[in-house]
Amino acid sequence: MKILSIDSATEAASCAVIEDEKLLGEITFNYKKQHSVILMTIIDNLLKNTNTDINTLDGFVVSKGPGSFTGLRIGMSTIKGLSQGSDKPFISISSLDALAYNMAYTPGIICPILNALRGNVYTSLYEFKRDALVKLTEYHIMSIEELLALIEKQNKPVTFIGDGINLFKEQISNSLPQAFFAPAHLNLVRASALGELGIKKLREGKSDDLYNSAPIYIRKSQAEREYEKRTGKSIDE
Amino acid sequence: MEFIVNNENMTMKLGEKLGSVLNPGDIVCLDGDLGTGKTHFTKGVAKGLLIEDYITSPTFNIVNEYNGRLKLYHFDVYRVNDPDEIYAIGFDEYIFSNAVSIIEWSTYIEELIPKEHISVVIEKLPEKGDNYRKIVLNYYGDRYNYVKGIKL
Repeated sequence: MKILSIDSATEAASCAVIEDEKLLGEITFNYKKQHSVILMTIIDNLLKNTNTDINTLDGFVVSKGPGSFTGLRIGMSTIKGLSQGSDKPFISISSLDALAYNMAYTPGIICPILNALRGNVYTSLYEFKRDALVKLTEYHIMSIEELLALIEKQNKPVTFIGDGINLFKEQISNSLPQAFFAPAHLNLVRASALGELGIKKLREGKSDDLYNSAPIYIRKSQAEREYEKRTGKSIDE
Repeated sequence: MEFIVNNENMTMKLGEKLGSVLNPGDIVCLDGDLGTGKTHFTKGVAKGLLIEDYITSPTFNIVNEYNGRLKLYHFDVYRVNDPDEIYAIGFDEYIFSNAVSIIEWSTYIEELIPKEHISVVIEKLPEKGDNYRKIVLNYYGDRYNYVKGIKL
């Protein structure tokens, strides 16, 4: 099985071609969110340089978020177009899963954090059990304080990954002095990690519906926001 | 700070003065009734940002983008029924970028406006004459201290 994977949920524009267990190629730019300008060019480049005719692909993988609204829409519409045009299935996978997968076999909690603006992060907690990535929570948007409180309760070593580190590293280190942070070469969403998670599902015969699949844009509900505004407290307290 | 103007060129001039000192990421909320000159003010700001394109009101497309000394996102949220609609277009990604954002009818989406911003409110002064306007310039946050220096 050979697939094309793309991720545009964060600042990174990334695409990869994977054939079975082998990553044939990957192009990633982690620079100034320019997905709409470069995405099609890097896909074209990648396919050419891996001698891949797009019609020989067996499927596609795309990020379903959470992340940049604009980025997600660019990725989703690109993959839907390629999937419909080539009549091959696609599946969407969370960029948070892909980030956690970058830290494969790390002991303890793996915590991807993506900048969700206004002091919030998109996040979820993961653990590796043998060779399986296990998601411990739902995908959330929460303030960094709420997240730190949640992690302190786990009482396990924790490794952070994602662009949220750039903003919150100091604050995290202050409250969790033992926390680890992903090194720069792993600290970006890579289409290869996303694609590897996706190809497993495609192989199991799973895929998204072209007309119903949509990115996850998580936001606190109106009711939660009003409660927090009124009381100055988080709904989770 | 209050400015009294009596023609649209003065409104534009004040906008230009502001536009020429705006920094990356600045947010300008622009409020006032229909016909008070909000678009003229924005045209002035665009001129101050060295934007050469013709500025039109984005009432129907919600946001227009322009390139000058800095990038400008010009919002008009008059047509919006619910702040969630604006949130869903990726509003935060626009206003927390390195561009300047001008938001007309900002009070319609008050809950989405960050505490730190520049506020421009234009009012008609019918007792003085049809073309008279009072333009009130306020700012919230130290990053906008430079607004104090604006003179017409």
